[in-house]
Amino acid sequence: MSALIEFFVRGQEYFIHLGILICIYLILAQSFNLSFGVARIFNLAHVAAYALGAYATALLSTDYGRGFFVCTIASMCVSALLAVLLGAIALRLTQDYFAIGTLAFSAVISALLINWKSLTRGVLGIPGIPRPEILDIDFYANRNFLMLAALMALATLIILHRLFRASYGRQLRAQGESELVSLALGIPTRMLRNLSFVIASSFAGLAGSLFAYYMNYIDPSSFALHEMVFVLTIVVVGRPGSFFGVVGSTFLLVLLPEPLRFMEIPSSILGPMRQMIYALILFAVVYVNRYRLFPVQRTV
Amino acid sequence: MDILPQLLVNALISGSIYALASSGLSLTYGLLKILNFAHGHFMMIGAYAVYFAFHMMGWGWLGSVAFSVGASLLVGWLSLRIFIFPFRTLHPLLPFVTTLTLGTILESAVAMIFGVNVKSISPSASIDSIEIAGIFITPIQIVIIGSAIGLLSLLAFFIHSTAAGRKIRALAQHEHAAESISISSGRTVTMVFLCATLLTAYSGVLVGMETNVQPTMGSSYTIKAFAAMILGGLGNVWGTVAGSFILGLVENLSIGIDFFGYSLPAGYKDAFAFVIILGVLLFRPQGMFGSKLRVA
Repeated sequence: MSALIEFFVRGQEYFIHLGILICIYLILAQSFNLSFGVARIFNLAHVAAYALGAYATALLSTDYGRGFFVCTIASMCVSALLAVLLGAIALRLTQDYFAIGTLAFSAVISALLINWKSLTRGVLGIPGIPRPEILDIDFYANRNFLMLAALMALATLIILHRLFRASYGRQLRAQGESELVSLALGIPTRMLRNLSFVIASSFAGLAGSLFAYYMNYIDPSSFALHEMVFVLTIVVVGRPGSFFGVVGSTFLLVLLPEPLRFMEIPSSILGPMRQMIYALILFAVVYVNRYRLFPVQRTV
Repeated sequence: MDILPQLLVNALISGSIYALASSGLSLTYGLLKILNFAHGHFMMIGAYAVYFAFHMMGWGWLGSVAFSVGASLLVGWLSLRIFIFPFRTLHPLLPFVTTLTLGTILESAVAMIFGVNVKSISPSASIDSIEIAGIFITPIQIVIIGSAIGLLSLLAFFIHSTAAGRKIRALAQHEHAAESISISSGRTVTMVFLCATLLTAYSGVLVGMETNVQPTMGSSYTIKAFAAMILGGLGNVWGTVAGSFILGLVENLSIGIDFFGYSLPAGYKDAFAFVIILGVLLFRPQGMFGSKLRVA
C-alpha cells in the first residue's frame, strides 16, 4: 500500500517536472517560431539569448538577491539588447550568410560564458539559484513552480498569438514571402524584422530565466548547439509559422524521448541518443517538406 | 626569452591544420555552393576510425590507415547521397540545415559508441620535442607542416594542371555551360567531395595525434573552417588556405603578446575565429582576396 502511494507521489513529481519543461520550451519554441516561421529569419543565436536570460537571472538572484520581477525583466532586457546588437550586425546579411553570422555570434557568447570566469564561473556553472517568492507566495515546491511557469507560458502564448494574428504578423509574413512586394506596399521591412528579432529574443530570455529558477543551477553545457537543434526541430515539426502546430509539437517532442528513461540505458548513452533522435526527426521532416520548408522566392 | 619565434612556429602549425581542414570545404563550396556544416565532423570520423582500428582493435598502421580511409569514404559518400544531393537545387539554407543534422547525428553516434571523454590517438605516451634554435617542435608537428606543404602542392597540381582539375574549375565557374560540353556534374562533384572528405579526415587524424580527440571537436573545427573560408572568399581555395594561416597567426599572437601589460586568457583563443567571421561578413563580405561583390 505504502509502495503504491509512493509510486503515485513520485510519479506526480515526475509529471510536474515534465509540465515545467513543456512550459519553458513552449515559450522558447513559440518565440523562435515568430522569427523563423513568420518572419523567415533563420536565427541560430536564439539559444544564445536563452542562455543570456538564464545567466542574468542566475547572477542577479544569487549575487544581488533580487526578486522575481527584477530578474525576469532584466533577463528579457538583456536578451533584447543582444537582439538589438545582433540585428544591427547580422540583419544586413542574407540567408546562409545570416545563418553563419548568427552561429558565429552565439559561439562568441558561449566562449564568453565559458571564459569570463570572474563573472560566470566558467564551466563550473552557477549553483544555488533560489526559487522565487512573490508577495508572500513561495514557489519553492515544484508544484507551485509549475503554476508560475504555466502562467508565464500562457501569457507568452497569448501575446504571441495576438502578434501572429495582428497586422504586424501579416506584414511580417508578407516580407518573408517577398521583400520587394512588401516594400512596394509601404511595409517597413527592416524595422519589422528588427522588432521581431527583439521580441523573439526577449521571450527567449524569459524562458532562460524560468529555466535558471527551475534548475537552481546552470552551466554553459545547457546552451550548446544541440539545444538549438532541438528548438529548430520543434518548430520544423510543428510547421514554421503555424501557431498551434508548434504548440502541439512542443508537447510531442518534449515527451517523445521520455519512454527511453524507463529502459535499461546508461545515462552516458541516453544524452547522445536523445540528440540523435531529434536530429533524425529533423532530417526526416526536412526531407519530406523540402519543397515547402524554404520556398524559393516567387518572382513576379 | 623572446617568445615571438615560438609563437610564429605555433601559428604555422595550427595554420597548417586549418589549411588542410578548410581547403576541402572551400573546394566543395566552389562546386556545390552549399555550406557543409558537417565538414568538421568528418575530421572527427577520421580520427575516431584510427582510434578504433589502432587502439581498440590493434590492426597495426597499415590496417588502421586502410580502415580510416574506407570509413571516411563511406561516411562521405552516404552524406553526399542522403544529406546533400536531394537538396542541391533547392533553397541554399536547406543543405545547411540537413548538414547541421548530419553533424549532430555523427557527433551523437560517436559519443554513443566511444563515450564523450577525451581520447588520445598518439602512438606513444610521451613524445620528445626537438629544440631548433630555441624553438621547440615535436616530430608530429613537423609531419603536420610537411603534410600541409605536400598535400596542398598536390592539390594545386591536381586543380591547375590535370584534365580532371580543368573540369572542376569549369564546373565551379558555370555549371550549366560545363555540363553542356559533356562534363558530368554528378560524377565530378562526387569525386571532389570524396577527395575533400579524405583530406579532412587526414587533418582530423593529425589533430588527434597532436592533441586529442573528442566528439565535440567537429563543430568547433567546422566554424574555424568557415572562418578561414569567409576570410579568403567563399569557394576560393587558395584564398581559404591563406585565410587559414592568417587565422592561425591571429589566434596564436592574440594570446601570446601582451597588450600594454594585459594579455588575453588562452581560453579566448577559439573566439577569434567567430569574431573574424562577423567582422569579415560585415565589412568585406567578398573575403579578403575576392574582387566581385556577391549580389544579395
